[in-house]
Amino acid sequence: MSTSTTPIVSLGDVKKTYRQGKLDVPALRGLTFDVHPGEFLAICGPSGSGKTTTLNIIGALDVATSGSVTVDGRELAGMSRSALSRLRRDRIGFVFQAYNLVPVLSAYENAEMVLALKGVKASTRKERVMKLLADVGLTGMEHRRPDQLSGGQQQRVAIARAIASDPAVVLADEPTANVDSETADRLLGIMEALNRDRGVTFIFSTHDPRVMERARRLIRLVDGRVSTDERRG
Amino acid sequence: MTGTSIASMAWRNLWRNRRRTIITLSSIAFGVLLAVLFTGLGDRSWRDTIDLAARMGGGHVTIQHPGYQDAPSLKRSITDVGGLERVVRQAGDVTHAVPRIVGQTMLATAGKSYGTVFVAIDPALESTRTLAMLEALDDGSMFAGPDDEGIILGSKLAENLGAGMGRKVVYTMTDRQGEIVSGLARVSGIVHTGAASVDSALCFLPIGTVRSVLGYAPDEATQLAVFVEDHRNSEAVATQLNAELGGRAAALTWRQVQPELAGFISMKVGGTLVFEIIIGILVAAGIFNTLFMSVMERMREFGILTAIGFGPGRLFGLVMWESLFMALTGIATSVVVTIGPYLHFYLNGIDFSAMVGEGGSDVAGVVIDPIMHVQIYPENALFIAGAVVLATMLAGLYPAWRAGRVEPVEAIKLV
Repeated sequence: MSTSTTPIVSLGDVKKTYRQGKLDVPALRGLTFDVHPGEFLAICGPSGSGKTTTLNIIGALDVATSGSVTVDGRELAGMSRSALSRLRRDRIGFVFQAYNLVPVLSAYENAEMVLALKGVKASTRKERVMKLLADVGLTGMEHRRPDQLSGGQQQRVAIARAIASDPAVVLADEPTANVDSETADRLLGIMEALNRDRGVTFIFSTHDPRVMERARRLIRLVDGRVSTDERRG
Repeated sequence: MTGTSIASMAWRNLWRNRRRTIITLSSIAFGVLLAVLFTGLGDRSWRDTIDLAARMGGGHVTIQHPGYQDAPSLKRSITDVGGLERVVRQAGDVTHAVPRIVGQTMLATAGKSYGTVFVAIDPALESTRTLAMLEALDDGSMFAGPDDEGIILGSKLAENLGAGMGRKVVYTMTDRQGEIVSGLARVSGIVHTGAASVDSALCFLPIGTVRSVLGYAPDEATQLAVFVEDHRNSEAVATQLNAELGGRAAALTWRQVQPELAGFISMKVGGTLVFEIIIGILVAAGIFNTLFMSVMERMREFGILTAIGFGPGRLFGLVMWESLFMALTGIATSVVVTIGPYLHFYLNGIDFSAMVGEGGSDVAGVVIDPIMHVQIYPENALFIAGAVVLATMLAGLYPAWRAGRVEPVEAIKLV
């Protein structure tokens, strides 16, 4: 999948410092990089290097201490809670390590939720969600609750939920950490296909060598800084 | 996300921890059961007591001379009782209106004399719906007419006077000129109410005979006892009558005529209310605990929901829906739990005879039935249901606010 020149995510000298007691603990020390539509990007690095913090800041879940963060052309600094909430709903998809599906909702309802939040018509929702669940290989499991699905199946529902509203970018935090290698391969295959066929932009935070291997761009963080930024094929 | 789907999610969330929800519903049901039984016991027993007081005294509303209440005297009478009665009949909710002469008299037999209260009545107008003592007529019979020459004595008074059935009794009273007048009667009936203060100090005389003795006109009396269908309308009826009477007579409610009884009932009702408020607070604390725990356990989930686009308002709404469902399910559970005991106590009552003792119990001369039934006013039942919904919604406010204020990045870290 080729990438266009206008970045979908842009970080400019982003710093993040956490306060722990009386100590300031720097998590990001001036991060600068752009992500373009259609990228399949992995951010890797040792524990504490700032991978998850980077994802949280891009996802408008956390706020940078300084620097500029732009998502889909919108500067996040100064946006209200509800505006950030709308941005997440409309333009950002999340896939979490622990799946984090709503336990009282079925696979279909979990995947449908973001569309319902956006006020999409029920018939359109149904059409889109059924197609998505088919794409991630969950046809026939629409009515199962999370506790009736395997870890891999739950993660596939989470992927369907993340891309249901056609987000500008999907942020996946260690999406393969809790599944076996066969399931991890299948999940990555699904996400690659979505990237290739639908042009969905993925940004992974990962330790998993399989993810790093299949990413077409690999940013390595060390101590909150970009150590290497490697583009492949 | 539509309100319906938020509601559906809230309903399912309510049952995520079934045991805790069931315990909370049980506490709501237990609270409602107690509130309904106590309120119903009060509603029924005070209604019965007030109605009985009206039937033992001057009705739910008493029309009398404006100065009679402060200085009761046979000089302070009302005239044109027939005209007054026509005015009274036009007031809403009035079922009966009967003229009476009430005053003090000295009763004497050959060997003994006692001061007592007399009530002169027209036997044609009175029934057990206006005069409770007719139910307690232990011996003898009611007067044949208003000009009968009999006297009906309280059982203890008869015993004190040594006056059995058919014995002569002389009654002496002071007429409107201040002259001492007297009449002779034969004991024609004995009433035994069980209330010592009534049985030892009350007698009945025929109103026509007393009018003759006192020199009253045929349409003259000291009071017109007015009875209403529902005692709670007494105030409104008295207000209406006072406006229509224009000062020629005063209409007083049973509360004004029997302030001791009114005070006693107010005190008891207040005590019950305090008890019910305490129960309500305890139940609300239990509901708050459940909702708060339920929210705190799901902070991570709320963080995720926030991440995917739930705004603070939607999360607040979700928890408030859960509170509402808790309240409505609590009310439904309460109906199931309460209906059996309610019907039992409604039909059979609770027998307090052992606690009251053989002598019975009376308040301000009104006998309290030792078998108390439960019968709640519909508006009080609705009030209790409303209080459950309100308390549950209030208990849900803080947990809902906490859910709405969740910081996703912090919440997602929680395990």
